[in-house]
Amino acid sequence: MELTFYGEDNKGILKFDPRTKFLLFIASGLMSLSSYSDSGAAVYTVVLLAVYALCGKPLSALKSALIFGAVMYLRAVLQNSQGAPPMIVLLVTALTTVFMFGFPSVLSIVILVRTTRISHFLSAFQAMHLPIRMIVPFAVFFRFLPTVAEEWNGVRKAMAFRGMTLSPAEVIRHPLRTVEYVLIPMLFSSMAVMEELAAASMARGMDADTKRSSYEEVRLKAADYVLIVLVFGMTVFAFIMGYSVKGGMNV
Amino acid sequence: MAKKEITVSTESRDKKLRTKDLIFAGAFGAIYIVLMLIVVMAFGMVPVLYILTPLPVGILCATVYELCVLKVHKFGAALILGVLFAVTASSGYLPGFVLAIAAALLAELVIMAGKYKSKKMFLLSYIVFNLNMVCPFTNLYFNRASFMSMATEYYGEDYANGVAALAVSWLPFAQIGLAMAGAAIGVLISSALIRKHFEKAGIM
Repeated sequence: MELTFYGEDNKGILKFDPRTKFLLFIASGLMSLSSYSDSGAAVYTVVLLAVYALCGKPLSALKSALIFGAVMYLRAVLQNSQGAPPMIVLLVTALTTVFMFGFPSVLSIVILVRTTRISHFLSAFQAMHLPIRMIVPFAVFFRFLPTVAEEWNGVRKAMAFRGMTLSPAEVIRHPLRTVEYVLIPMLFSSMAVMEELAAASMARGMDADTKRSSYEEVRLKAADYVLIVLVFGMTVFAFIMGYSVKGGMNV
Repeated sequence: MAKKEITVSTESRDKKLRTKDLIFAGAFGAIYIVLMLIVVMAFGMVPVLYILTPLPVGILCATVYELCVLKVHKFGAALILGVLFAVTASSGYLPGFVLAIAAALLAELVIMAGKYKSKKMFLLSYIVFNLNMVCPFTNLYFNRASFMSMATEYYGEDYANGVAALAVSWLPFAQIGLAMAGAAIGVLISSALIRKHFEKAGIM
């Protein structure tokens, strides 16, 4: 529930610029595709967790860290175990991999959504002289990701209430019916949310063709530069390491 | 004050993308990406199914795409969806990124060929749009060694070999075919669903 709207970073020790957080998101995608080692992904995730904590969400950061640590531990134990049945090893490796692969991206989106005000996001990117037509879809995209999760939960509960479960067996037996039952209510309620968002943005004069002014102070501070350099360095390092790993492979 | 006329339903005449349309495109983009990621993750566990993902994504995501382009009904909706897709799903490898946006542009052209009136062209444009599901795999086509070492590191030797055995030279064409077939099935389903639910409710 708390994910519904863009959050704020009033309690944060450091306040990062929305552009820096957006860069974290892009870098997360690049990192998970180009770092060929568990340790690289782990170090990057630790940096993200630190950013999350510094932005005023230390408890949530700790929770995420514990989950991430547990999964990494499971992965390490499993890879070194001798007696485990190979089928289970393969399955758990695949599951933990999907987790590891997606965790930095998801975490960077959570950081962006939970510690940024939407007006700050818009004004920061407008300061880069990007057209508002490019910024709004991205702002709405990030704002809507938690809404999708919420609507999905709502649909699932409503279905359970009417005695329909979303068990794998049921999904496999009636795939089309499941799609219809899940997708249609989700789209309907999401469209209602979109209409409300559009109405709210109209009320704020977002549709005017004049340039918008803002109370937000938009400036990259020292902390932003430090983080940008750090993340950029890590991504480049991961790329170089990735290439060296690749060189050693005979595929 | 009383002289000022309120213009209602400028939608059909207005060709420019308004903030409202941008909001719709961004929000549908979020739904599309989440749905796509769920499908890819569910199928990605097994190498064979992973290669086949353009098919189920086409079948399942068609409805979201069609609702988006039919709702916005202007140039740009498919393109915004395509850019969001490229940034989130295909940004790891530059050619894939460019191709994903190119697919969205082509879809826009298909809609444009129907002059933004023909519902058939709106529906058909998804068959082109879904080609972007092939783009995350471009890494596998053009940059095979890098893809393999990633797969080995992430999923282990067995999985990587499974993918390698499937990565034959005609794989790109097979995946393009799968993407289009999936999209075609998805379009059929979505047009039925849209007729059954959304047009009846007067949303379209």
